[in-house]
Amino acid sequence: MQVPYSWIKELADIPWSAEELAERLTLSGAEAEVEELFEAGFENVCVGHIIELEPVEGSDHLKKAVVDSGDEHLQVICGAPNAAKGQKIVLAKVGATLKEGFKIKKAKLRGVESYGMICSEMELGMSEDHSGIIVLEDDAEIGKPALDYFGLDDPVIKLDLTPNRPDMLSAIGVARDSACLAGTKLKRPEFKLEESAEKASDYINISIDDPDACPRYAARIIRNIKIGPSPWWIKRKLLLCGIRPISNIVDITNLVMMEYGHPLHAFDYDLFKNKEILVRRAHEGEKFTTLDSKEHELDPRVLLITDGEKGVAAAGVMGGLDTEVTEKTRNILLESAYFDSITIRKSRQKLGMTSESSIRFEKGADPNVVPAAIDRAAYLMQKYAGGEVLSGIVDCYPKRMDPIRITLRPERVNSFLGTEISKDRIVKILTDLEYGVEDKGTLEVLAPTHAPDVTREVDLIEEIIRIEGYDSIPFVERNSGPLVAVTRKDDELRSEIRRVMTSQGFDEAYSSGLADTDLLAKVMGNGQPQLKILNPIAEDLSVMQSSVIYSLLKSVSHNISRRNVNLCLFELGRGFLPGDPPQENEQLGLIITGASDSDWFTKPRNFNFYDLKGAIDVLVTGCRNPVPEFKYADRIPYMNGMSFDLKFEDRPAAGHAGMIDPEIAKAFDIKQPVFAALLDFETMLNMRNDDIQFRNLPRFPASPKDMAIVVDDDIQAGDIMKEIIKAGGKLLEEVKLFDLYRGKQVPEGKKSLAFAMVYRSDKGSLKSKEVIKLHSNIAEHLKKCFNAEIRES
Amino acid sequence: MPGLKDIDKIKAQALAAIASASTQDDLNNISIKYLGRKGVITSILKSLKDLPIEQRKSVGAAANKIKVEIDQEIKSALNKFKISRVKAGIDPTLPGIARRLGAIHPITQVIDDMCRSFHGMGFAIERGPEVETDYYNFEALNFPPDHPARDMQDTFYVEGNDLVLRTHTTPVQARVLEKCKLPVKVITPGKTYRNEEISTRSYCVFHQVDGFLVDEGVTMADLKGVLVAFCRDFFGEGMSLRFRPSYFPFTEPSVEVDISCFLCRGKGCQLCKYSGWLEILGAGMIDPNVLKMADIDSEKYTGYAFGIGVERIAMLKYGINDIRLFYENDIRFIRQFI
Repeated sequence: MQVPYSWIKELADIPWSAEELAERLTLSGAEAEVEELFEAGFENVCVGHIIELEPVEGSDHLKKAVVDSGDEHLQVICGAPNAAKGQKIVLAKVGATLKEGFKIKKAKLRGVESYGMICSEMELGMSEDHSGIIVLEDDAEIGKPALDYFGLDDPVIKLDLTPNRPDMLSAIGVARDSACLAGTKLKRPEFKLEESAEKASDYINISIDDPDACPRYAARIIRNIKIGPSPWWIKRKLLLCGIRPISNIVDITNLVMMEYGHPLHAFDYDLFKNKEILVRRAHEGEKFTTLDSKEHELDPRVLLITDGEKGVAAAGVMGGLDTEVTEKTRNILLESAYFDSITIRKSRQKLGMTSESSIRFEKGADPNVVPAAIDRAAYLMQKYAGGEVLSGIVDCYPKRMDPIRITLRPERVNSFLGTEISKDRIVKILTDLEYGVEDKGTLEVLAPTHAPDVTREVDLIEEIIRIEGYDSIPFVERNSGPLVAVTRKDDELRSEIRRVMTSQGFDEAYSSGLADTDLLAKVMGNGQPQLKILNPIAEDLSVMQSSVIYSLLKSVSHNISRRNVNLCLFELGRGFLPGDPPQENEQLGLIITGASDSDWFTKPRNFNFYDLKGAIDVLVTGCRNPVPEFKYADRIPYMNGMSFDLKFEDRPAAGHAGMIDPEIAKAFDIKQPVFAALLDFETMLNMRNDDIQFRNLPRFPASPKDMAIVVDDDIQAGDIMKEIIKAGGKLLEEVKLFDLYRGKQVPEGKKSLAFAMVYRSDKGSLKSKEVIKLHSNIAEHLKKCFNAEIRES
Repeated sequence: MPGLKDIDKIKAQALAAIASASTQDDLNNISIKYLGRKGVITSILKSLKDLPIEQRKSVGAAANKIKVEIDQEIKSALNKFKISRVKAGIDPTLPGIARRLGAIHPITQVIDDMCRSFHGMGFAIERGPEVETDYYNFEALNFPPDHPARDMQDTFYVEGNDLVLRTHTTPVQARVLEKCKLPVKVITPGKTYRNEEISTRSYCVFHQVDGFLVDEGVTMADLKGVLVAFCRDFFGEGMSLRFRPSYFPFTEPSVEVDISCFLCRGKGCQLCKYSGWLEILGAGMIDPNVLKMADIDSEKYTGYAFGIGVERIAMLKYGINDIRLFYENDIRFIRQFI
């Protein structure tokens, strides 16, 4: 919505510049900016005088003009048929950039040099007309900038309106608020309409099938109009409102729409089959062609204005091509109607178009401005198109809509806002905004129908404070409501995870959570359920990811493409699965790839599975979780033999880990080994020990002793450790694997493992005999269980 | 008078002191103490004249001997100092050997800072589902079906029973209000989705920290108070704050909140587009319809609500010019926020 500043000044006495007005409107609920609409297209464009004109040799239509531009005489080639010597014209000089970026340069036509262009309306962005050049009044001042001459240097107020402010979609609406802010009165346009004796009701009959969708339909008949261009003042206003002038009749309906905020439509009355208006729902499959020559197949969502048979307009959205006003039009049916907002919303959605008209009806028009708007338009048509206005409005208003009565308690205004606004001030603000106010102790307020969103006391409170200004609300420093909030365990865990992972050198990743369906299937397995988005933004963002491994792989892929090839990333995100309701679970994903950090002392080393496992060990310890067991699993997206489930005792898997199958990595354009893990956040939360209990420090010395064994290569270290713990009993305090060896010293198919044991009793110092006994018990047990060969102990 | 025994003792003390000296200064001090003009040995030599003649010779010879010995010891100790530094081979300008710290994502950092601030004022944290029902995302928040206000939020619809990807975290407010005990004071950080063209300024995902309070006698002045407190905590002292009218279906009246630009302090700069103000959040008094929908008596109770866009604040705070950077996870980006 945009409206020239000068138009607001016509309708309201305001002491402010355009910028000041915009600032005040912004602070009272309509975000406003000032723009010089035509300035850019009018640089180096001025009033010129054709002082000589002669044909160009060898051309049937080109003429060579000498134009006085005020400070110099320029030779300009012109092809317009209406150019004549002595005319005052609009000259675009070399250096001008007209609308749509058309640059004027020195040119040569038929060997004749041209230093500019004589403009038509089209080149200046004023209309589509380029049949001839614009001929100015004789008294136009030569050399005057064209912008000044046309009065298009007027600043335009551009409004970015919220949906609750349909009252601001008109010059009168903006002027109403402006006047109220300035404490002055709104000056509505004054006019006197003269009607002829013949009654309009003899020429048209109106009936409405669906009064809920169309509570009011009014029409006037105007006869013997003469189609032609509008006077400049109308064109100028429309241009500044961003509307292209077309012809007097169409321009006037647009002008009145901008003035009153009420959409009007003019039909060529003679093209009506029947002299009637029937407003009804469109039939299923009914065909209708709108003004823009688009044919639509309708259904009952579209409200149709018909002549009793055929559609003449899609109500409130756009008129029909068949009854369009053209140069031949003589008699007009002028429509001023009110349509229900939801009806128009659904209709324009079905038609797939919006218009200035549909925007206004959808946001909420005013049913009671219908007569004023139609009279204003009829008056202007009479004056500028020579029309004869038949007597009376044919007004069908089956569903009256009256102003709403609201009780307003002035003390509630202040107790709600924390302000001290006086009752008098409240009355003044509401009255200036054209509310009816009656003081009966409390205020009985009539909310005008131009403000359809004001229906309750709280809405009136908003009207008052937006005019009074939000600056008038003090800020109180007091703490209401509960004074303390308990920190949640899940938030504690999230911070712990972030602390532990970053201290291990992992960077935190964030993702959209939206995924490509095929790529996600690669990560989750074909045929696995995916939660689909019904209106995706793009093909590759059409489902919700079910695992953060997906987004981590995307992040790895992106980094590798930017040559960041050594990565440790983690992400706390959600995975989604379809269902009723869909499942949504929080996950922690880890991913590592490339090589470890290196420096002048430490050689770089490619990451391997144990780096991932170590990171998980530190993570669970840091989050006070038990250390999970890695159980062989066969899970997508991991490589066979490199896929593990993470298990806490006998519970369901708390997550999984492994090396991403190279084929799947390749689908993400990753060609280096990637290790990844996923942990279920909920499980980590449940397993978290948040009850730390102190244990006495040991009083007696520990006895460390090592043991090296040789076993078959396929025996898992973890199984051996378990047996050591079992055989060691209570006196074995700790066991740690400190060496693993395969090679020359050990037979083929075997490996050597070295363990460091620590023995301790809480009853007294262990004697060396006791330690040797314990140690050899373990050795015997390992021989038995694993056929282990004891190397040293 | 010192005898030969004393001289042995002095020698032993001096050698022990030299052995335990840990700096060159220590050695210099030892030298002064024993060999200086007023040093122990010098004074023995000076006092020889007071001794009987037969002792004078032997004590004098012994003192002169240890004087030479101590001097040599000190010299060799000083030498060792010089040698040991070269031998240890430490170059303190070489980088230390350490594991690199990982970086916490800037979105987390901004959310955590906000939560800390509000948590300190007694706001509890609540979270909710990201796949939300139409009811909680819209209807319970006073967006009637087919209301133009729904166009303000480009919504992703999800297969299932009237499901959407939540367009704000305000549905958590509706869920909390439905079953909480009053008064209630909560913030709802989380991820939200909008079906918008992806560009430098908008992305299909962003994060929000919403908050609300419902109690008896809550006014818009309370809202101003809490937001001023937050802004001072988060952006620093000396911030001024401005309410600009706006519209959200779930608050009435609704406002946009601007703070004075923290870069130019309100003088006007590129960041604030020469307005002196930065829009940082939306807020308002909870619409009575929203309270009614949760069975709360809107005559007795009033409340306020606000919502902050995390990415927007992070972009302002760190001068980030492309919102997509948050979701690409380029480590050269994330590691700037360590």
